[in-house]
Amino acid sequence: MSHLPHDQESPSTIDRRSFLRAGLGGTLFLGTVSVTAGLSGCATAPAGRLDAADTPVDEGYRFQFLTRDDIELFQALLPAIVGPALMEEPEPRRQAIAGTIERIDQGIVQFGPANQQELRKLFDLLNFGLTRVTVARVWSSWPNATTAEVDAFLERWRTSGIGLLNNGYIALTKISNVAFYGHPQHWHLSGYPGPPPWAMQALPQFNNA
Amino acid sequence: MSLTDRIAKGLEAGWKVTDASTLTDNQTHEADVVIIGTGAGGGTTAEILARAGLSVILVEEGRLYYQKDFKMDELTAYASLYQEGMSRVTKDGAIAILQGRCVGGSTTVNWTSSFRTPEPTLSYWADNFGLENLRPEAMKPWFDGREERHTVSPWLTDPNVNNDILRQGCDKLGYSWNVIPRNVKGCWNLGYCGVGCPTNAKQGALTTTIPGALDNEARLFHGLRADKLVMKQDRIDHLVASAMSADTVTPSGVKVHLKARHFVVAASAIGSPGLLLRSDIPDPHHRIGKRSFIHPVNATVARMPEKVDPFYGAPQSIYSDEFNFREGVDGPAGYKLEVPPLHPAMSSGVVPGHGEEQRDNLKQLPWMQSVIALLRDGFHPDSPGGTVSLRDDGSPVLDYPVTDYLWDGLRRAFHTMAEIQFAAGAEQVRLMHLDSPWFNSWSEARAAIDELPMELHRVRLFTAHQMGGCGMGENPQQSVVNGFGEHHHVSNLSIHDASIFPTSIGANPQLSVYALAARNSTRLAGKLKG
Repeated sequence: MSHLPHDQESPSTIDRRSFLRAGLGGTLFLGTVSVTAGLSGCATAPAGRLDAADTPVDEGYRFQFLTRDDIELFQALLPAIVGPALMEEPEPRRQAIAGTIERIDQGIVQFGPANQQELRKLFDLLNFGLTRVTVARVWSSWPNATTAEVDAFLERWRTSGIGLLNNGYIALTKISNVAFYGHPQHWHLSGYPGPPPWAMQALPQFNNA
Repeated sequence: MSLTDRIAKGLEAGWKVTDASTLTDNQTHEADVVIIGTGAGGGTTAEILARAGLSVILVEEGRLYYQKDFKMDELTAYASLYQEGMSRVTKDGAIAILQGRCVGGSTTVNWTSSFRTPEPTLSYWADNFGLENLRPEAMKPWFDGREERHTVSPWLTDPNVNNDILRQGCDKLGYSWNVIPRNVKGCWNLGYCGVGCPTNAKQGALTTTIPGALDNEARLFHGLRADKLVMKQDRIDHLVASAMSADTVTPSGVKVHLKARHFVVAASAIGSPGLLLRSDIPDPHHRIGKRSFIHPVNATVARMPEKVDPFYGAPQSIYSDEFNFREGVDGPAGYKLEVPPLHPAMSSGVVPGHGEEQRDNLKQLPWMQSVIALLRDGFHPDSPGGTVSLRDDGSPVLDYPVTDYLWDGLRRAFHTMAEIQFAAGAEQVRLMHLDSPWFNSWSEARAAIDELPMELHRVRLFTAHQMGGCGMGENPQQSVVNGFGEHHHVSNLSIHDASIFPTSIGANPQLSVYALAARNSTRLAGKLKG
């Protein structure tokens, strides 16, 4: 097993695990965080339309699920999750991240109420300072976190022995990867040429004339 | 090759189809039979009853999408055609659930594999659940009939490379394989079955039984969610349903009451138990929602030396049953081997990873091949299945514990899949497992698979087949409906979908649902006409 990545059983990992499993485990714990986050002034309403001055996200798009804090969270996460596949030039890179965050928002709207609630708990846990530090072990606020710090956080959740954190890793990376690699502008990154052009030419639903 | 769009033509010709999001007033409608769900079971039932001259109302929570909407685009399709925008998971989040939510249900988005219920499964049901009338010889005419109705036949075109690699690997190792029967007519071999067939070749409910029902005066409400069956004394009096807004996820506030002599629930193995639980349907032995099965699926991916282009061509054309019933019907967990199509969004969500590693994984997509194993659950005391219950908001959720019995099967399946891929010439193989690196040889993979932790979340698990939860059987203490899908306690309620299976099937379930629904609807039509 030594050649496989595996959870490092540091004392703090074990402490955290027993802390999560005793008393405050799972959904109950996350639910508590959500309430606490709301009470302590975290953004809890969908961001709606953002001012251009405020954020690099397109002001024409109206966010229906993600809050301002969530948007900052994904602005920090995406460079680590899909960053290496992104172009280096600042403007296209900014646009690719902004577009991915919009598609994440669009996707989550279709998830429906139950899974939206689960994601709300996860995002609140990450956005709320106390749990960001204790559970995610990210010391900087998200806008100040380096890509290396974010990558280390993702790696900790992926290799953790706690299923709940593995689940968080999967949730964050899956919605980000799908929204990014699934977009036609990024198909070339997976060598996918798109639907066969001959079929599109032959099929009535593509004739928009 | 037919580009005739039955749906577009029918709508023009005046089919009685109502988009519930356009309703502004509460209303009541009445018919002989109200059918909840328009998938394999609901569509079949609607066509047979309507042709028998009964008045039928079909209720579908998802929306009506058809050829004009099927543009071979993953993101749009996952958001609109799948349950919970493709985010449906089991209660602990460990198993992703792929399930349709649209007119035609999962038959609109499935990969067209059409197997008869395996004979050992039918015999097991007869021996263990008193379902003598479902023995293979009794079911044969129903499979024959449905294969004709849905144009099912083995795929005669060459398999795509993705499927051919499964065939080659099996050949090299002396494992049996066979060609998959598909329900297609004039298929273009494009590879987009999972996002709505763009050519109307797929002969699912959407292009066969639903038009057949609507041609015979059936009425269809889509975007209408069945909330509750309301009883009056010992019979169901009416269904209360909520119109959904155009966004498909928010109720608009408009309520529709549907009255009928008989109600057929065909809302899937998650939706049907959910509706019965919300309705407080008599359940003296607490059977509703129990024994839910999913054919738990694990997967491996291989990097092949030659291009695979796993996004093109009929998604499933080769399978192997070498390990499905090898240890007996109720021995250690058996599994069926198949191949999934790999498009970029699906692949990036299924292959776990992030950063450079994920970029490098996906860069290889054209050379990537994947095998999946579908575990046959429910045939052993250590595989009792999961439980459907209601969340606080009334929506159904499936809790599915993975037992040691299943983990053993999943580990063996990992072995088999990696062995087959290396035998077929794979350069590298990786398990869909958080801890799996790319293995360079079969011996390396074999040793590692014995050591990798078989744990929830770490092993990536999926299901595309939901079954059980309203199981049939002759003993009301152990089942919800009898062998004809008739509810044990409520005389005007039938269930016509995969929720009545007392175990999983051991094969893709659509043809099993078609056949049982046809058989049970024919009997129901006789009763209601009589």
